[in-house]
Amino acid sequence: MMDESHIQSVFDRDLEKIQTLIMKMGGLVEVSILDAVRSLANRDEELAMKVRENDRAIDQLEEEIYEEAARIIALRAPTASDLRTVLTVMKISANLERIGDYAKNLAKRTSVLVQMRPIEGAAEQIRRMGREVEAMLKQALDAYIQRDATLAEEVREQDAEVDLMYNALFREFLTHMMEDPSNITACMHLHFIAKNTERMGDHVTSICEQVIYLVTGSMPDENRLKEDRTPYVRMGAGE
Amino acid sequence: MSETKISARNVQVYYGDTHAIKDVDVDIDDKTVTALIGPSGCGKSTFLRCINRMNDTIDVARVEGDIHLDGEDIYDKAVDPVQLRAKVGMVFQKPNPFPKSIYDNVAYGPKIHGLAKTKADLDEIVERALRRGAIWDEVKDRLNAPGTGLSGGQQQRLCIARAVATEPEVLLMDEPCSALDPIATAQVEELIDELKRNYSVVIVTHSMQQAARVSQKTAFFHLGNLVEYGETGQIFTNPKDKRTESYITGRIG
Repeated sequence: MMDESHIQSVFDRDLEKIQTLIMKMGGLVEVSILDAVRSLANRDEELAMKVRENDRAIDQLEEEIYEEAARIIALRAPTASDLRTVLTVMKISANLERIGDYAKNLAKRTSVLVQMRPIEGAAEQIRRMGREVEAMLKQALDAYIQRDATLAEEVREQDAEVDLMYNALFREFLTHMMEDPSNITACMHLHFIAKNTERMGDHVTSICEQVIYLVTGSMPDENRLKEDRTPYVRMGAGE
Repeated sequence: MSETKISARNVQVYYGDTHAIKDVDVDIDDKTVTALIGPSGCGKSTFLRCINRMNDTIDVARVEGDIHLDGEDIYDKAVDPVQLRAKVGMVFQKPNPFPKSIYDNVAYGPKIHGLAKTKADLDEIVERALRRGAIWDEVKDRLNAPGTGLSGGQQQRLCIARAVATEPEVLLMDEPCSALDPIATAQVEELIDELKRNYSVVIVTHSMQQAARVSQKTAFFHLGNLVEYGETGQIFTNPKDKRTESYITGRIG
């Protein structure tokens, strides 16, 4: 954000408001990620239910942000960094809403998985992955509020770590299913969870790109380098 | 890509001791609308008035540097300012029709510049100009009525018709919509968009939204300097200079 304030101070208040809403939404989503992976690790159905219910508040915030952004565009005709603030707020809230949905889906699958025999180590690894994504999200939102493109770039690169975790889990689930077909149902659910958590990381990456756009005025040029996927393609899990 | 119509180099304007325009270098494209924006007193109108030598009419004003129109120096001793102004038309902030009929308002320029040989020629020029001014349908049945009897928006379009009647190549507009209501403004803006097919249009406006709506290129002036000049889309989404950013986002610059 620019250090100077608008001649019309109500414009500043409008812009502050949507950004406050984004931070509030981001906070709720962070809690959802952590609660969702914790409910899985602790086989805590009650907590899983809470995550599913809390998603409604996240969706409502997205709607509120959208309406506020539309109002600012209509009434204030924002330009330059103000315009980018409004545009990025809209996009980031959509990213957050998707992450919230993935957390909710994770919680739903937890409610199913608690009925089954646990797959050794899987829930703990997913929990680590979820914590990694949550930490990235926290930093991405910090980068946003501090207008720190360098930090956003760093967080963007961390996503490779999440991808590696997903690839490792993928191989493990495959092994479990080959060893004992009675593991298939649980492993399929766990695989969706791992994949969805990996997708959360992609949405965090997208938030980082928005921060870079907000600060520099242009999107980062090239896509983040993907990790070598050879071993994983050989195992027949093409993307 | 459009070709350069007006090329200004190292332009300085002084009003007495006041240095109103400082080292302005700019190339204005043909068949393009160029908006000049900036706070009051930034020099945008002064610069506009350099392009058809309107500053010559102010005793204390002194213009230095080079301004070329199609490669020819418009400040050359051999150039007749009156002839120049037939080529570089101007529309002002307040509609200023002559206290004459609608027809005579438009016919005046072509007559004094000897553009029409016969009455039929002149009729044709007047009709064409009024059509280009997007006002023909509204006035064709009352061409002998006084121009001053029209509404503000119609008067302004009449003035634009009058400016295009001499077949200019450049049209300068100094806040042409500031005295008009939103509907008349929209009509004039639509007209400006039409005009850019034939002319190089340079418009000074205090409305940044208007600059954003009508122009393809925008020049931001501040304290007599040309701070930034570029594609309008770029200026309004991602200006390079902090002063441009402050101005267009409504911050204290």
